[in-house]
Amino acid sequence: MLIIRRRPGESVVIAGNIEVTVMEITASRVRLGIQAPAEVNILRKEIQLAGEQNLAAAGAVSLESVGILLDALRGRPG
Amino acid sequence: MGQCQTAQLGVVEYDEAAVVHFPAGLPAFENETRFLLIEQDETRPVVFLQSLATPGLLFLTLPAGIVDPGYRLELGADERALLELAGDGPWAEGEDLVSLAILTVRPGNVVTANLLAPVVIGARSRRALQVVQAESGYRLDFPVSGGAVPACL
Repeated sequence: MLIIRRRPGESVVIAGNIEVTVMEITASRVRLGIQAPAEVNILRKEIQLAGEQNLAAAGAVSLESVGILLDALRGRPG
Repeated sequence: MGQCQTAQLGVVEYDEAAVVHFPAGLPAFENETRFLLIEQDETRPVVFLQSLATPGLLFLTLPAGIVDPGYRLELGADERALLELAGDGPWAEGEDLVSLAILTVRPGNVVTANLLAPVVIGARSRRALQVVQAESGYRLDFPVSGGAVPACL
């Protein structure tokens, strides 16, 4: 991980065309401004992780998996 | 009554009033805005979340309180507004809102529940969103094992 110190108003530029600016710093939070082309997807990390988990959950669903789930809930070996 | 084609549950008849609306979709499924909540006697307490638009998109869920009986839900002002929840709470689980943990069936038949990002549904508004409880300490892969539900069910 690259660690950089910035003051409010200062920026970093990523891949030449993505700019992250520190807008404001408070005791508990940093407000970041991000400029990027429209096709660049920007997500809070926890949303990205939730999306990955949803894809894994939906991808694993089948007729069989409902039976597996019920067995797991009722403590029966799968 | 409408008819919903599903890949795992056959053809499901539904009332428009029972449709759950996700104005923002779900993470990784932002365009999926209409779902049915389906419960069947033989599969309780599992709650199926079936997409109306995509027959193959089905989430298996459990009420968060069944996975973790002490489950605490924190909702911000924006989230409460989207769900059309009045007042400052507390809200009664099952009456004012329903919190569901999406389940993942993993290799080795391990089942985990996403307690970090429950699906929260406003009971009266029928509006819903997936709420990431970022500072809660809950896991998105909480193991669900035997004994979570009494064997006599």
